[in-house]
Amino acid sequence: MFDILHDHLALFLVGAWPHGPLGGVANTLVLAALGLVASFPLAIAVGMAQVSPWRWLRTGADAWTRLVRGIPLLLIIFWAYFAVPLLVGAEVSAFTTAVCAIIVYESAFLAQIVRAGLESLPRGQMESARSIGLSWLQSMRHVQLPQALANMLPSIVNQSVSIIKATSLAYVIGVPELTYSAAQVNTITLTKPLQTFLLLAAFYFVLCFTLSRFAGWMERRIARRRLGLA
Amino acid sequence: MLQFENVDKYYGAHHVLKGIDAKIERGEVLVVCGPSGSGKSTLIRTVTRLEAIQGGRILFEGRDVAAADSNVNRLRARIGFVFQSFNLFQNLSVRQNLMLGPIKVLGLSRDAALAQAETLLAKVGLANKIDAMPANLSGGQQQRVAIARALAMKPPLMLFDEPTSALDPEMVQEVLQVMRALADEGMTMMIVTHEMGFAREVASRVWFMDHGQLLEDAPPARFFDHPAHARAQRFLQDVLRPAPRAAMLTD
Repeated sequence: MFDILHDHLALFLVGAWPHGPLGGVANTLVLAALGLVASFPLAIAVGMAQVSPWRWLRTGADAWTRLVRGIPLLLIIFWAYFAVPLLVGAEVSAFTTAVCAIIVYESAFLAQIVRAGLESLPRGQMESARSIGLSWLQSMRHVQLPQALANMLPSIVNQSVSIIKATSLAYVIGVPELTYSAAQVNTITLTKPLQTFLLLAAFYFVLCFTLSRFAGWMERRIARRRLGLA
Repeated sequence: MLQFENVDKYYGAHHVLKGIDAKIERGEVLVVCGPSGSGKSTLIRTVTRLEAIQGGRILFEGRDVAAADSNVNRLRARIGFVFQSFNLFQNLSVRQNLMLGPIKVLGLSRDAALAQAETLLAKVGLANKIDAMPANLSGGQQQRVAIARALAMKPPLMLFDEPTSALDPEMVQEVLQVMRALADEGMTMMIVTHEMGFAREVASRVWFMDHGQLLEDAPPARFFDHPAHARAQRFLQDVLRPAPRAAMLTD
């Protein structure tokens, strides 16, 4: 197994780069980071809509999250693969397709985190913000969201673990990421699929385990700050 | 300045405000008292539409607060509200708590808002806490900041919903002191409180509520010495009686 790692380390880490497109762990991280960063504003909007005082907005946002959460990511990727080129009327790269699908998928899950974060704040924070004449949106922006986001950070990092694993599905439309690299290595070595895919699992595990440890550390830090100092 | 006209409120089938009909004039300090569950907090919360009413009207400066053309944000900017649980913005420093409303709602410049914040903090005796975070203040300090935050909007009317009920006993006076000073300046105030000593000393009028009804509306001297209603008499006996239980416990 170590000889596979030794022989193909570059392929696992960066794919064909610098002679070809970026792949491997690096591209997996890029996919996940883009997915997280781009889905976050969407998630904030949807999460806010879910706790908003306007019924039609709540209903719409609820329907959106229910719908997306009820569909496997693989289907969203397939759907985006065929639908997005039709919608924009141009060729769309597999990478862009995958990012779009991940954004749609993760926005629904992140929205749940945002909603929970907003709902966990004491009611008095909103009441007092509204009581000095701030609009609902102003209250959200200056009082609720900053508090909710600080409390949400660990959950967001935890969610990024799921995003990293989700990127492996981009393999099916040919995005050169970590799983894709492993498949290439498997084709090269030919006779060692077990070892190769065990190695792949190890790569994912290290990434995800590191992130969840980081989330745990953040959680303890926030808890400590809430108890003692702050 | 503030007028309740036959105000009715229900929580489902529960009738919590029953035909409240009363008026507060400019410069008055009105204390609302009554047993818990009497509807006094609900009543004060209806003024700025934190609670909706199902019948009657509430007029502030002659205008229906729930009128279709009334802007609820503008209404709330003109009426200061002090909560039982302070509700300072936890993510903002004391200074920012006092500046947010004036800048975002009144359109003050940062400098003007800061200067005003400093003046108001000095007034409530907390000039040295301007950079503190709310969580690092005692309850009494937080409530004084909350009063300053409400005053920063320069409201012609201030509402207090049990402002000392969440405080440790030793901190009650520092808050009442600030309120007393406000009353002396001629601020129009509506105060829900159990502090009967404060009511007798500072109030220009006292309302007594029970079971959603406004039973008495009298100057403090008359209310405390000769309450007309039997339920008001019983309430006063209960709250003014020196606590005998503490003595019994030590026996």
